[in-house]
Amino acid sequence: MLRLAWRNVWRNRRRSLINVAAMGFGLAAIMFGQSLIISLQLQLIQKATGSITGHVRVQRSDVDESKFPDKFMADPEPAAKLFAEDRRIVAWGRRIQITGLVSSPSASLGALICAVEPEKERILTDMSSYIKEGAYLEPDGKGIVMGRKIAGRLDVRLGEKVVLMAQAADGSMGAEAFRVVGLHETGSESFDGQIVWVPLKAMQEMLGRPGQANQLAARVVDIEQAETVAGDIDAALAPGNVRAISWKAIDREIISIQAFQNGILSIVLVIVFAIVALGILNTQLMSLFERVREFGVLMAIGARPRWIVRLILAESFLLGLVGAALGLAAGSALIAYFGRCGLPLPVGKAFSYFLPFPSVIYMLPAWRLHALACLSVFVITLLASLPPALRAGRLKPAEALRHV
Amino acid sequence: MSSLVEVKGVGKVYPGGAKIAALAGIDLTIARGEFTALAGPSGSGKSTLLNLIGTLDRPSEGTIAYEGRVVSSLDAETLSDFRLRALGFVFQAYNLIPVLTAVENVEYPLVLQGVPARTRRAFALEALDWVCLSEYAERRPDLLSGGQQQRVAVARAIVARPSLVLADEPTANLDSKTGAQLLDLMESLNQEHGITLLFSSHDGAVLERARRVVRLQDGRLKSDEARPR
Repeated sequence: MLRLAWRNVWRNRRRSLINVAAMGFGLAAIMFGQSLIISLQLQLIQKATGSITGHVRVQRSDVDESKFPDKFMADPEPAAKLFAEDRRIVAWGRRIQITGLVSSPSASLGALICAVEPEKERILTDMSSYIKEGAYLEPDGKGIVMGRKIAGRLDVRLGEKVVLMAQAADGSMGAEAFRVVGLHETGSESFDGQIVWVPLKAMQEMLGRPGQANQLAARVVDIEQAETVAGDIDAALAPGNVRAISWKAIDREIISIQAFQNGILSIVLVIVFAIVALGILNTQLMSLFERVREFGVLMAIGARPRWIVRLILAESFLLGLVGAALGLAAGSALIAYFGRCGLPLPVGKAFSYFLPFPSVIYMLPAWRLHALACLSVFVITLLASLPPALRAGRLKPAEALRHV
Repeated sequence: MSSLVEVKGVGKVYPGGAKIAALAGIDLTIARGEFTALAGPSGSGKSTLLNLIGTLDRPSEGTIAYEGRVVSSLDAETLSDFRLRALGFVFQAYNLIPVLTAVENVEYPLVLQGVPARTRRAFALEALDWVCLSEYAERRPDLLSGGQQQRVAVARAIVARPSLVLADEPTANLDSKTGAQLLDLMESLNQEHGITLLFSSHDGAVLERARRVVRLQDGRLKSDEARPR
């Protein structure tokens, strides 16, 4: 049967080639769309978690905004011990994030002050890689790293001093002078224009909060495990007002963006699949009308109706196989090309307001989704050919033989 | 000779606005080994009767039995199996499958029967040999003449050793010389291999070759004439 089906597929070579090309193009387009969305999402997650959020965080459970926890943990050490002992965690560090004022002789600006443990933060995030002038923070001393934009607004240069002011533990206004040791340029308005980085120890002193932090951030080996790790740490924490959460509970907007993009992708998939299905339906209906007499002959020589149905489905299966192979090859080549050379995307600029986000996306294959798309093309092909196949199976031999 | 086909009181009415009775009250018996022609002008009901005897269509009334078994009321799947094992068909327009070679066309009934590849190829080549087309075995139908295509169709009809071969105007699309050669072939298959043949024609020269001529007119049996040679 397969031999006959294969030859029938190529009976009208041009039509089959157009059909296979349409399927291949459709599948390649689906794969490209899947890869683009997945690569974009992956990059977004990597940049968000890798520049500030981290994969897992421990912070007070009664904070107003989990992204910027403003309340201090009285004793972060039990959580620090859990982080240090968990082998799924590659790096972790204590942090203080607090809003305050940065002043230079010529200007004062509101900013988010991020106090970090520099030696740990180098592994925890990639902020040290954006330094364009000077160096990253050292654990001791009173150095400050900031973006070139905020430095420009403050009119300060490397080696000059700025004063940070923020509310101290006793309610008074804590203030301290910090010398600019590094200037970074991430391309993000928020990071380059609104955030400054100082060593944790100096900030603890300035705020009169020795040993305190308002968050502990960790980076795990496999980001897919972030929620599990957060759950395990949370369960191990002593009951109280401290909790462990994953990046998903912090960067909720990314989850929303993911859901939105996945929704758009699903709509595009449905449209492409519908086009493929209509193409197959059209081809098989035309093929059926052209071969009614032949089906009559096959029935006359003893082919069962269900055999005729299977023959048409086999033809569609083979058509789908060739189309899927073509689409898989074309889609993989396209993804490999843009994976190597990168795809310039203006969307990078939109994201980069909030995050250091590149304007070139290096595409990655999403094999599980691609396999699903291939399978869907097969299923759609078979489903689309089912009506003509069933119709052929219902033909009456004598009437089919009279068909002109 | 023992009875192979028994047609009793068969009629066929085609549905439609004005119902047309294509056949009415046909009683006919075909014995094993016969070489019978159905004769009559166009519209007399020859093809309709062949289709009914070939189980390609169902009678509106009456019964058709093979070796005592009534087949006219069987379901579509059972009828397919019956045709596959008991009948062979030759059509006016050859009706070979264009994407298959001559030998592949011939072996197709055996493919449907599930005969192993090697056996069915041997049977198909033997059938092609009977119709003197062995050397054209690997050619596709579009590379064969009309007469050659009809001989391939005959080989396909006989390859599964059916009890009855039905041929609807088998020489109508052939020139007189090729038509005569085809009739020679059918006659030799009947005489040398004992294949029962029932064919339709309105050509007097063709009917001359039959040993029994059943004449139809306006859907009714007009005469049934044996012609011993």
